[in-house]
Amino acid sequence: MLSLLIWGPLFGTALIALLPAAVMTPARARQIALVVAAGVLLWTGYLVMQFDPNLPGLQFRESLSWVDSLGLTYQLGVDGLSLPLIVINSLLVLMALVATDLNLTRPRLYYSLVLILEAGVAGAFVAQNLLLFFLFYEVELIPLYLMIAIWGGAKRGYAATKFLIYTAISGVLMLAAFFGLSFLSGSHSFDYDGLQAQALPMATQLVLLITLVVAFGIKIPLVPFHTWLPDAHVEAPTPASVLLAGVLLKLGTYGLLKFGFGLFPEAWQLIAPGLAVVAVINVLYGSFVAIAQTDMKKIVAYSSVGHMGYVILASAAATPLALMGAIAQMISHGLISALLFLLVGVVYSKTGTRDVTVLRGLLAPECGMPLIGSLMIVGVMASAGIPGMVGFIAEFIVYRASFPVFPIQTILSMLGTGLTAVYFLNLVNRVFFGRMTESLAQLPRIAWRDRIPSIVMVVLVIFLGLQPDWLVHWSKSTTLALSEVNRTATALMLPDSEP
Amino acid sequence: MVSLSPQPTSTHPLSALIDRLENGGALLPESPENVVEVVGILKSYGVVLDAYWRNLVYIADHQFLVLFPFFKYFNGELSWKKLLRHWWHDRINFEFAEYCMKAMLWHGGGGLDAYLDTPEFEQRAIAAIQAKVKTNLLMRTLHRLTPAFLLEQVRQFCYYSVLGQFWSVMSPLFLALSDRYDRGEIRSIADVVAHIKQGLVDAANLPITYAVEIQGTQYDIIPESAGITFLMDAAVPYVEAVFFRSFPFFGTTSYNAQAGYISSQQRDFNYGALYADPLPIGGAGIPPTLLMQDMRHFIPDYLQAIYNDTLRGEDDLRIKICISFQKSMFCVTTAAILGLMPYPLDTADPEERQTNRAYLEGWMDRLLASRLLSVQEC
Repeated sequence: MLSLLIWGPLFGTALIALLPAAVMTPARARQIALVVAAGVLLWTGYLVMQFDPNLPGLQFRESLSWVDSLGLTYQLGVDGLSLPLIVINSLLVLMALVATDLNLTRPRLYYSLVLILEAGVAGAFVAQNLLLFFLFYEVELIPLYLMIAIWGGAKRGYAATKFLIYTAISGVLMLAAFFGLSFLSGSHSFDYDGLQAQALPMATQLVLLITLVVAFGIKIPLVPFHTWLPDAHVEAPTPASVLLAGVLLKLGTYGLLKFGFGLFPEAWQLIAPGLAVVAVINVLYGSFVAIAQTDMKKIVAYSSVGHMGYVILASAAATPLALMGAIAQMISHGLISALLFLLVGVVYSKTGTRDVTVLRGLLAPECGMPLIGSLMIVGVMASAGIPGMVGFIAEFIVYRASFPVFPIQTILSMLGTGLTAVYFLNLVNRVFFGRMTESLAQLPRIAWRDRIPSIVMVVLVIFLGLQPDWLVHWSKSTTLALSEVNRTATALMLPDSEP
Repeated sequence: MVSLSPQPTSTHPLSALIDRLENGGALLPESPENVVEVVGILKSYGVVLDAYWRNLVYIADHQFLVLFPFFKYFNGELSWKKLLRHWWHDRINFEFAEYCMKAMLWHGGGGLDAYLDTPEFEQRAIAAIQAKVKTNLLMRTLHRLTPAFLLEQVRQFCYYSVLGQFWSVMSPLFLALSDRYDRGEIRSIADVVAHIKQGLVDAANLPITYAVEIQGTQYDIIPESAGITFLMDAAVPYVEAVFFRSFPFFGTTSYNAQAGYISSQQRDFNYGALYADPLPIGGAGIPPTLLMQDMRHFIPDYLQAIYNDTLRGEDDLRIKICISFQKSMFCVTTAAILGLMPYPLDTADPEERQTNRAYLEGWMDRLLASRLLSVQEC
């Protein structure tokens, strides 16, 4: 069942890429990509309906031997941690395709890459073999690199290369940690279930875990490994930004929880306070830098840096509620950041600038973008944690769960919510309110294609804000089971810590 | 084109426009695009004004001192179909005409304002009020409790009637302009201004009167003997109130008193059509003016085609209408300015020319803060 999430998009890619150009017109390539992405979303919906949220373990498991001598097997499965991320991947790919400019160059390559990206990300979320995860993790790197390098902005070459170097280093570190774990633990297998890091000395565990934290920290990104992200966002085309912020960053936090916390629960206890401090730095640094930006995309990009800090904080706290908060925050940030990047993309495509010192009065009825402006206001409200929207639910769970474990770090992180309101209200006030600049009064029409993805995002942001159970109930059993591992590890560590 | 011996150039900031006016030009620059826009928009304005004036006169004549005039916009033709259409808002916004009427009432000016404060008016109005309240206990009680209330209402009805009569002249004038354009007789902005100016001059001395019939008896509230005339007592106060000072275009500009947007000097306070910002401000709740909504239904095809051939097409139609309308109003203002010139434009007398220059500079002072400079760029 899960293979369809991977092979469906790859089949679409093959269709688009391999059929003759006479048959595969740009319009047809778009249609096929949309149909495949919609099919994957429907299939994901079916999986959600079939998923039993009361079971803590993996479901829909698939297992095939592949390169046994290397320990590489085709092991797939989904749990409450990965299911919401698979849903958001399928959703955002479809929305990104809808929002794609109809007149872009080299459409066949573009749509093929988006579908490869979808397959790679889905594969990473369902992979239950460390090498398989690594393969999918690396697979998604190539299409995104090409999307930035080919369809990006003026400094796309620089941004794409930076992204490639950082993510490649992330991959190398991750692979090193996986190899270390497998060979030092003596299992010689990369199957997730078979790996038991607890058998390793604590010092070894710490080295491997910190390597993984840095590897996934680049992807998340954690400060100071974040510098690739704003450049990548600024230069990437809108759909790539949507997928980057909405899904790809989550590979980092997912990897951190799945492989860092899941495989090294004892060592996790030791680094958790440090992670909580890093989370605070992420939140405050991202927020303060966002305040200083004048490029709308950079503001949203640094906002992402800040908001991913909440996921780290909750992951560090690692109680059942905190883990649930981490997953909720991943979904919340995925929806909200995708929404904001979609809206910034519309503004940029119609006005030709993202400079908040130039844009003015875009909320003006008739000649401005009242609907886009209204959706942006909803988006920034959600990002700032206004009740009634998904951002509030996720941040509230994170704060509520993290406070008993890391009270000071949690309070400092809460400042980030206030700072979010500062930079986003500043953005909205400058760009959408006031009298429209004369030079902006002749904007082109905004098509429904530009509006629909954002409207879908807003509906979900509000729906999940009003009905938060739909956000968290898929993960309850999984987070409970994960935290049990953590609790057991803590119990095991306590006698050692006694003199 | 008027040809005169050179006069020293004005030192006024808008000296170029003064020169243009002195040389027979208009406040709006001469261009084929402006001609199409102005004629087209005045045609739709003429249609809308026709509906407005008929309703104003209906209200003045048939809703006189009706305490709850729920159906005043129906011109006495009430039906479920019309009522549903009214509630659906697919209709002429007669409210706009009332806003203009109230602007005139509040800003006053001209012989009408003076007449409405005379004992003669009061006597005539009270006679009509007495006749009206005689059979209505509620109104009679109200009149006894607040004698000034119904009197003020009658003053308002006078303005209903006067504005209705003013527009009853202007509407056919604008429609005739369009007909002449269709026949190829109007080819320039100067032709447009000349047409309007001639219409104003022809109607200048038309008497403005107002009488109501109550239970078979006619009550003359503004008799012809009051000497109220079209140009000085209706047109000029109308231009002053609606073009320069009024509020009917409220909502198009966001005024912030704390930010100093509103002058502390009342004489500098301009809300009128010539000052209205066509780009609406702020949230989605502020609509373009009702007039623009009304005119959009009657745009001639040739102007509609021009509007459609823009980036936004019909999406920002009302803003385009507002911009065109302002251009047309600068033509009407030009006609009014030229029509009220102290001396003929082609006078050779240096003193008279100097007086004319001072007169034009006075107008330019008032128009400095208006959209006059913006329409020069269009």
